[in-house]
Amino acid sequence: MHDPGARAVARRKIATIEPVEYADAEPSAFASMLGGLIDANIAASPAKRQDFDQLSARVGIFVTDIDEAVTLDFKRGSLIVHNGLQPRRAITIRAEAATVMNLSNLKIGLFGMPVYYDEVGRDIAAKLVQGKLRIEGLLGNLSTLNSVTRIFSVQ
Amino acid sequence: MAVEAFSDEWARQFKDEVNKSSMYKSAAKGWKWTVGLVVEAEPDKNVPESVGVVMDLFDGEARDIHVGPASDAQACNFVITAPYSRWKQVAKKELDATKGMLQGKLKLKGDLPTIVRYTKASQELTECTTRVPVQWPDEK
Repeated sequence: MHDPGARAVARRKIATIEPVEYADAEPSAFASMLGGLIDANIAASPAKRQDFDQLSARVGIFVTDIDEAVTLDFKRGSLIVHNGLQPRRAITIRAEAATVMNLSNLKIGLFGMPVYYDEVGRDIAAKLVQGKLRIEGLLGNLSTLNSVTRIFSVQ
Repeated sequence: MAVEAFSDEWARQFKDEVNKSSMYKSAAKGWKWTVGLVVEAEPDKNVPESVGVVMDLFDGEARDIHVGPASDAQACNFVITAPYSRWKQVAKKELDATKGMLQGKLKLKGDLPTIVRYTKASQELTECTTRVPVQWPDEK
């Protein structure tokens, strides 16, 4: 027999939680781009989604040549993207726009480690040595950086 | 000799520059989507109507580049939109396209991971535009 309550259940609205949300009413173009990139990456890759679900950290990214910054507040399965640098960041990455974009082209190799021996990896490593890519808070947060790199990578 | 910006002749020369670029050929290997550039009107700069540049790019080759209505460009897989004066800045190397997108000066629509994967190819496309000598409508 048809359950008279079934219709009500079927029509009940299920609240959906977006994995990536924005703290500001008007996210900056940079915030939208990073948020959109991470959103697409975790939707496309179960491995990236797993990293995303396990990561709890605040990561700042400052683009030195355009004075734009965002803070990525990862909260085990959700991310809030803030315009600008917020306090209590575990890691802050400071680099030029081209290097920030290149970071997302780092390949991920064995054991989920970023590959630093191909062309993109060597370029990133060189920027680190030259001080054109600075990572504050690296000490003690290497696994966080690797997780962020994996989530961020489009490769 | 300089050609009129965003004219048929400009599109032809731009396509030739893209197909001459060995860097583009290798960086865009595997690319198989259309790209539309929307040049928004700026009547005070002698650009009374928006125009579209439609680029049929495939595996490191420009199969076709033509200028048409903005709506044609908006129908492409990837669409980059900016006012005329921004595009002029890009073509004159006064504005880096990557920075422009991060600053929201150039608005991008399309699958972000794909475009990020081909950052180098898009930078070379920009370089190709700078190699076409252009007569700008607001400098006539």
